[in-house]
Amino acid sequence: MAGTAHAAAGALLSALVLAPGGARAQQAALTMAVGAPVTSLDPHYHQLSPNNAAASMIFDRLVNTDHQSRMVPGLATEWRVVEPTVWEFKLRPGVRFHNGQEFTADDVAFTIARVPNVPNSPSSFAIYTRPIREVQVVDPLTIRFRTEMPYPLMPMDMSNLFILDRQTHEGAATEDFNGGRAAVGTGPFRVVSHRNGDRIEFERNDAYWGDRPAFARVNYRMITNDAARTAALLAGDVEFIDQVPTSDLAKLRGDQRVALSEATGMRIIFLGLDHMRTDASPFVTDNNGQPLPRNPLKDVRVRRALSLAIDRHAIVDRVMEGAATPSGQYLPAGIYSHVPGLEAPRADPDAARRLLAEAGYPQGFRIQLNGPNDRYINDSRIIQAVGQMWTRIGVRTAVEAQPWPTFIGRAGRQEFSAFLVGWGSNPEGSHPLRNLSATWDRERGWGASNRGRYSNPELDRMIEQALSELDDAKREKILQDAQRLAMEDVAIIPLHIQTNIWAMRRNLAHTARADELTRAQDVRPAAAATSR
Amino acid sequence: MSSTTLGAAPVPAVPPKIETPFHRFVAEFAASPIAVGALVVFAIIALVAILAPWIAPQNPYDLAVLDIMDGRLEPGSVGGTGITHWLGTDDQGRDMLSGIMYGLRISLTVGAGSALIACLVGASLGMLAAYAGGRTDSAIMRLVDLQLSFPAILAALMILAFLGKGILNVVIAIVVVEWAYYARTVRGSALVERRREYIEAAQCLALPTHRVIFRHLLPNCLPPLIVVGTMQIARAIALEATLSFLGLGVPITEPSLGLLIANGYEYMLSGKYWISFYPGIALLVTIVSINLVGDQLRDVLNPRLKK
Repeated sequence: MAGTAHAAAGALLSALVLAPGGARAQQAALTMAVGAPVTSLDPHYHQLSPNNAAASMIFDRLVNTDHQSRMVPGLATEWRVVEPTVWEFKLRPGVRFHNGQEFTADDVAFTIARVPNVPNSPSSFAIYTRPIREVQVVDPLTIRFRTEMPYPLMPMDMSNLFILDRQTHEGAATEDFNGGRAAVGTGPFRVVSHRNGDRIEFERNDAYWGDRPAFARVNYRMITNDAARTAALLAGDVEFIDQVPTSDLAKLRGDQRVALSEATGMRIIFLGLDHMRTDASPFVTDNNGQPLPRNPLKDVRVRRALSLAIDRHAIVDRVMEGAATPSGQYLPAGIYSHVPGLEAPRADPDAARRLLAEAGYPQGFRIQLNGPNDRYINDSRIIQAVGQMWTRIGVRTAVEAQPWPTFIGRAGRQEFSAFLVGWGSNPEGSHPLRNLSATWDRERGWGASNRGRYSNPELDRMIEQALSELDDAKREKILQDAQRLAMEDVAIIPLHIQTNIWAMRRNLAHTARADELTRAQDVRPAAAATSR
Repeated sequence: MSSTTLGAAPVPAVPPKIETPFHRFVAEFAASPIAVGALVVFAIIALVAILAPWIAPQNPYDLAVLDIMDGRLEPGSVGGTGITHWLGTDDQGRDMLSGIMYGLRISLTVGAGSALIACLVGASLGMLAAYAGGRTDSAIMRLVDLQLSFPAILAALMILAFLGKGILNVVIAIVVVEWAYYARTVRGSALVERRREYIEAAQCLALPTHRVIFRHLLPNCLPPLIVVGTMQIARAIALEATLSFLGLGVPITEPSLGLLIANGYEYMLSGKYWISFYPGIALLVTIVSINLVGDQLRDVLNPRLKK
C-alpha cells in the first residue's frame, strides 16, 4: 500500500517537474473506500445504491446509464416499440460472461424470470419486471416484452436490471453470489474475493466489450465512519473516497494532495406540509398557543409565503457549504422532463408577509417543523435555518429533530404539520410525481411517499396521461406541465438538490455520477484525463 | 464526632472561645486558598448564568434574531446585526458568548435541580432504610445496589429513550440514576447516629418517629450529605452535557453546553475550533470549581480527615 502511494507521489512529482502531460502515471492498482457497505453481490437482492455500484462493475444491463443518468446502449444496442404493448430489444453480439459463456436472449429471459423469485429480498427489483406479461425470444439476439397497457418506462426499467447467465446462474442463491462463485457477469471487472461488509477485490475483465478500465486491479473497501474515511485518504491508505462530509470540504479543497469531483445528484431535499386536515393541524397554533380552527396550510397563499420566506441560496451556501443546488422543482437541470425556467424561488420576506396577511394571518401563527437528524446531509441544520427564516416572516417556528426511524414512522402516520424529507429520483418526472404528489392510493401504489397527503385530481389525471404516452417528446411536455402545476400549487416546498462529492489523490481523475454510484471504471490517472 | 458540627445542634457543652460552629466552618474552609478561589469562580459563573437574559449580547434561543449568514464567524468578528461576536458564532449564526451564558443557565439549573430532587428522594429512602431496618432496609438497599451497578450514562440513555427528549426528562433521568448515592450515604451515617445516646434519649421521651428522624437524626447526617451533594451537582452537569451532546437532552434550537460542543465538533478538523472549544472550557471550569469546593467541604466536614 505504502509502495503504491510512493509510486503515485513519485509519478506526481515527475509530472510536475517534467513537461505537463509528459509523464503518465503508470498505476496498475487502485484502492478506493466507500462510505456505505455493499450488503450483497447478488444484483437482484436489494435495491440499494452501494449494491448497484458494485453490481455495475461486475454485470451489465440491457440499457446502461451514463454519468448524467441518460440511457445509453448496454447489452442491448437498440430498442423500440413494435406494437403499442410490445417492446423489442436488439442485443449486442459477441458478448461473453467472465467464465466464457456466450450472452444471448435466453439469458435475458432467465433474468426476467429470476428477479421476482429472489428469496428474502429486503427491497425487491420485481417492480421493474411486474409490467411484463410475456417474454418472447425471437432469435438469439432479439427479445420482446409484451405488456398489458402501453408502457413507456420499459427502457428505464431495464436500466435497473443486471443480466445473468442461464447456464451459470440456474439455481444460484444469494449466498453463491456473496461467496464470489456466482458473481460472474459481462461487466468490466471480475470478482477476485469478497469479504462481506469489509472489502471486495476486483481484477479487470480484459475481454470487456466496452471501454477498457484504467486499472488492472481494484481494492474496494468499505469505511463507514466519515472521519476515518477522510483520514484514510489523507494518510494515503486509500486513493479515492466517496460521500465526503461537507464539514471536511473546506479542508480538502485547500489540500494540495487531494482533488474533488462533484455532480449534481438526483436527490431532492424538500419540506412536506399537512394537506390532509381542513380543521386544526397538530403542530399549528395561533400566537398564544391555542389551536387554530382551520389548517392554514390548506391555503395556497400560506404555502407560497412559507416557500418565499426561505433563502435557499443561504442554506446551500452556509449550511451545505456549496454542496447542493437550490431547487424549485423535483429534478435537476439536464435531466429528462426537468422544467426549464422554473427556478428556485428567490427569498422575498416582504412578499411572504403580504401573502400571509392576504390569507388572513397578518400576525402570522406558530408551527413546529420536524425533521430527521441522521438521514440527509446536514438535515437538522437545515430545519433550524428554515426555522429562522419562517420566524422572520411572523410564523414562529419550533424545530424538532429526531432519529430517522422514529421520525419517518410518525411522518408516515401524518402526525406532523411540516417536515423535512428527501427523495432520490429516477431521471423521469413521473417518478417523483407519482410517489410524492399523486393522491395516496394503496391499491395503485400511488402517492406511496406522499406523507402530507396532497391531492389534486387534475395532477393525477396528467400523470395518468403521461404514463400511457409512448412518445418521449409528448410525454416530457405532459410531465413538465404536471410539475409546473404541482409547484404552482406548492404541493411540496423544494429546497435543494444534493451534490454528490468524491475525493481522490491528485494523481487521479473521476467522472462524477448523478446517480451516486461509486465505480472503479469511472476513475483513471489524471494525466490520461487531460489528454481526453 | 460530636453533635456540634453544624448549627442545628444544641449549645456546645464547653465553649472554648467565642466561636459558633459556623465560624469555625468558615475559618476551616478558608484555610485553602484554592477552594476559596474556586468558590469565587463558581459564584461568578452562577451570577453570569442568573443574569444571562440581561447581560448576553443576544438571545440565542430566539430564531428571529439568528441569521444563518452570520454562521461560523471567527471570534472577534462583527455580524450582520452589528453585534461583535467575541467568541465567534456557531453554524446557525448564534453568538457563542450568549450561547455559553444561556447554556450555563441550563447546566446549573439541571445540575442543582436534579441534585436537590435526587437528594430529597435518596435521603428520605436512606433514612427510612436506616431507621426501619429489617426487610425495608434490605429492599431499599438492594434497589440501591441494582441502581449503582448500572453505568449511569446507559441508564440515563434508556430512560430518555423511554420518556423522550426534553429538559424535564433529563432531570428525571439524572434523578433516577443519582438518588442511590444519597441513599447509601445517608443510610451509612444514619446507622451510626441511630445508636447514639441522644437518639435513644429522644426515643425514650416517646417523641413521634418523624420528629426523631427529621429533628434529631437528619441534621446530624447532613455533613456527608452536603459533600456528596456538591460532587453530585458536578456529576449531574456532566451527565446533562453528555446527554445533550448525544442529542437526547435539550431541543436543538435551545442548546446547552453539551449541544454547543456537539454542534462544533464536526467543524474541528476544518479549523473552526471555537464552536466546541469555548463551551468546553466553560463546562470544564464549572465542573472543576464545583469539585474543588466539594473537596474542601469534605475535608472540613469529615473529622476523620482532620489532622
